[in-house]
Amino acid sequence: MLDVQNLTFSYAPEQTPWTFSFQLEPGECIAIQGPSGSGKSTLMNLLAGFLTPRSGDLLWKGRSLLKTKPWERPITSVFQENNLFEHLNVLRNIGLGIHPGMKLSVAQQQAVENGLREVGLGGLGRRMPSELSGGQRQRVALLRALLRDQPLLLLDEPLTGLDAETRALLRSMLLQHKSRGTAIVLASHDEEDRQRLADTVWNL
Amino acid sequence: MAGRHDPVMHPPLSHPGWQTWPGAVFAMGILGLSLSGLGALIWQSPGVDITSLWHSSYLRGVIAFSFSQATLSVALSLFAAIPVARALDRHRNFAGRSLLLRLMELSLVLPTIVAISGLVAIYGRQGWLTPIISYLAPALDWNLYGLSGIVLAHVFFNAPLAARILLQSFENMPSQQRKLASQLGLGSLWLWRTIEWPAIRGILPGLAGLIFTLCFTSFAIVMTLGGGPSATTLEVAIYQALRFEFDFGRAALLALVQLLVCGSLWWVVVRHNTNAALMPNRVSQEHPSRRDSTGISHITDSLMLLFFSAFLVLPLAAIIWRGLPGLWDGQVSLLLPATLRSFAIALPAGALSVIVALLIVTASGSTRSRIISRLCDIAAHFPLIIPAIVMGTGLFLLLRPSLGTRYDGFALVALINALMALPFIVHLLRGPLQGLDGDTLKVADQLNIRGWYRWRWLHWPRLRKPLALSMAYGTALSLGDFGVIALFGTPAQPTLPVLLYQQLGSYQIASAAGTGLWIIALLLANFGMFNLLGRSPRLKESNHA
Repeated sequence: MLDVQNLTFSYAPEQTPWTFSFQLEPGECIAIQGPSGSGKSTLMNLLAGFLTPRSGDLLWKGRSLLKTKPWERPITSVFQENNLFEHLNVLRNIGLGIHPGMKLSVAQQQAVENGLREVGLGGLGRRMPSELSGGQRQRVALLRALLRDQPLLLLDEPLTGLDAETRALLRSMLLQHKSRGTAIVLASHDEEDRQRLADTVWNL
Repeated sequence: MAGRHDPVMHPPLSHPGWQTWPGAVFAMGILGLSLSGLGALIWQSPGVDITSLWHSSYLRGVIAFSFSQATLSVALSLFAAIPVARALDRHRNFAGRSLLLRLMELSLVLPTIVAISGLVAIYGRQGWLTPIISYLAPALDWNLYGLSGIVLAHVFFNAPLAARILLQSFENMPSQQRKLASQLGLGSLWLWRTIEWPAIRGILPGLAGLIFTLCFTSFAIVMTLGGGPSATTLEVAIYQALRFEFDFGRAALLALVQLLVCGSLWWVVVRHNTNAALMPNRVSQEHPSRRDSTGISHITDSLMLLFFSAFLVLPLAAIIWRGLPGLWDGQVSLLLPATLRSFAIALPAGALSVIVALLIVTASGSTRSRIISRLCDIAAHFPLIIPAIVMGTGLFLLLRPSLGTRYDGFALVALINALMALPFIVHLLRGPLQGLDGDTLKVADQLNIRGWYRWRWLHWPRLRKPLALSMAYGTALSLGDFGVIALFGTPAQPTLPVLLYQQLGSYQIASAAGTGLWIIALLLANFGMFNLLGRSPRLKESNHA
């Protein structure tokens, strides 16, 4: 489904470029590990379309994504932080992920409410991000990503710094979506996250 | 949820052209309008003689005076502003500090003609402080009319603006540096050398350039305090050439000189990337205590701030003191129609200025073309260097066949006023409009929040307040305008500043003070009203998801 073919990138011409090659099938999770600066976030940004590779190709179902804009790619990202719009409340932060003009059907609104309850944030929909803890914010970001229901999920240290209970809850949600066919690229320093979620671990 | 199988939708106005072209077209329009105004003057005067610039002693005198008064004004404004900004940075918790800061910001929109009436009350022949000045410095032979008055008025307007912008630079210093300086117990001199001077060094040339331009192109101050041919600036000479001598050629020639001088200055400023902020932003950070905020420094700072406050407050107090009786002295029948006329010009001017600024800033921030970006920047600052009167007259000449009623004249004034406010409004809106951080933009891109939806959900909540403030500034600048209206206004149907000028000119000092007070009250009401409109919809946000 996702075929990364010798995708190369460097921030400066004199820098030795990173080269990435791997394939990912529906329902598969690849975990990437490596020290800071090893290229984990760079790979995520290349896949999402925030960076342009110097060479190589990125195929989705056999079609190149290189000229596809970030919003047209079948991808949703969850970053380690800064996922939420600080001036919008939780409901709007999630709703904008489903429709960029907040035009939500009744069923979609219901799904948001149910999702919030599922991640333990029932009744907090009108809170602003600044009124949430780090774990709560990350739950909102992940819920938004899951409700977007895109076939490829890019997770850049999504569970770092969260308490054990929240991590377990979010991991089980991710596993549910994975079992339904969502492919995941996970950048994580955490051994347990990699063991529970990943089918393959790739060292950078 | 849907999504996986949905086709990608294109939000309204999400084509990149919508971000760039409206602003670029307006930018080209502004440059075209300004240059065609100037061109029309040259076209109407076939015998433009460039050698008259050095053959005519009058013109040489005008140019020399414009330079000397502007240079002196810059030097004195910065001389006052730097220690005031330092003192305000050192002392952050004294009573009245925020009031003083608001007062300093007011200087940008206080109509010059109103402030002059206050300055006359304090420093004029019968002024409150004139006997004290004459007693303390008899050698000065104090006279408000002439170079000393012009420079005093320029310092009154520009020192607070400069101090406010410098204070902002001090406030933007990294808090770690402040903490380090505090921990090391650095004294005043070393604080200046290690953290304060580096913080302002970069913006000083731009700030000096800005003040020089404002003083070099000064009109109302020189017009009222100029005191004859020996104290005339280019802008006033242009006005005189147009209004009294109908000498379009001379006006065009002088306008070209002004354009050349100010344009070169701005080119140097922009080239060295030292463009100072035109308007201060409000920031607050951690401020650890400083060793030099106690002892002798505390006393000298307090005295300096006291004198500076008095310098700003006394003319305003004089306007209130003298204006209150004058306000009721049979003035209502004059003030009300003048008020309506003023707002009929100022509100459309403010709105136009805000809309054009918004489009230009959007274009400049979104385009990948350096040419369009540079074009937008030049257009946004061009009104600062081309004389409003020249632009107005040129356009009047161009449009004369179709200009019939006085309403057309008012529309022209509103248009020119809108352009004159543009540099300030652009600066106010640029930060909030282009300030979305990289992470937010990434998330927005991926969620397809583009075009109209990006404006609605990401920009509008951040822009609501700055837009209201911009509208207030734009309206206020037009409300207090005594430039273009002096040329196009009809004496029988004056706007408020023209009425005030007429009253000052006919020595109706009490009535003039009343009108000045009325204008200040309207400005405050104007700011209050737009401040209310721009209030954060935080509560609504929480209740309407």
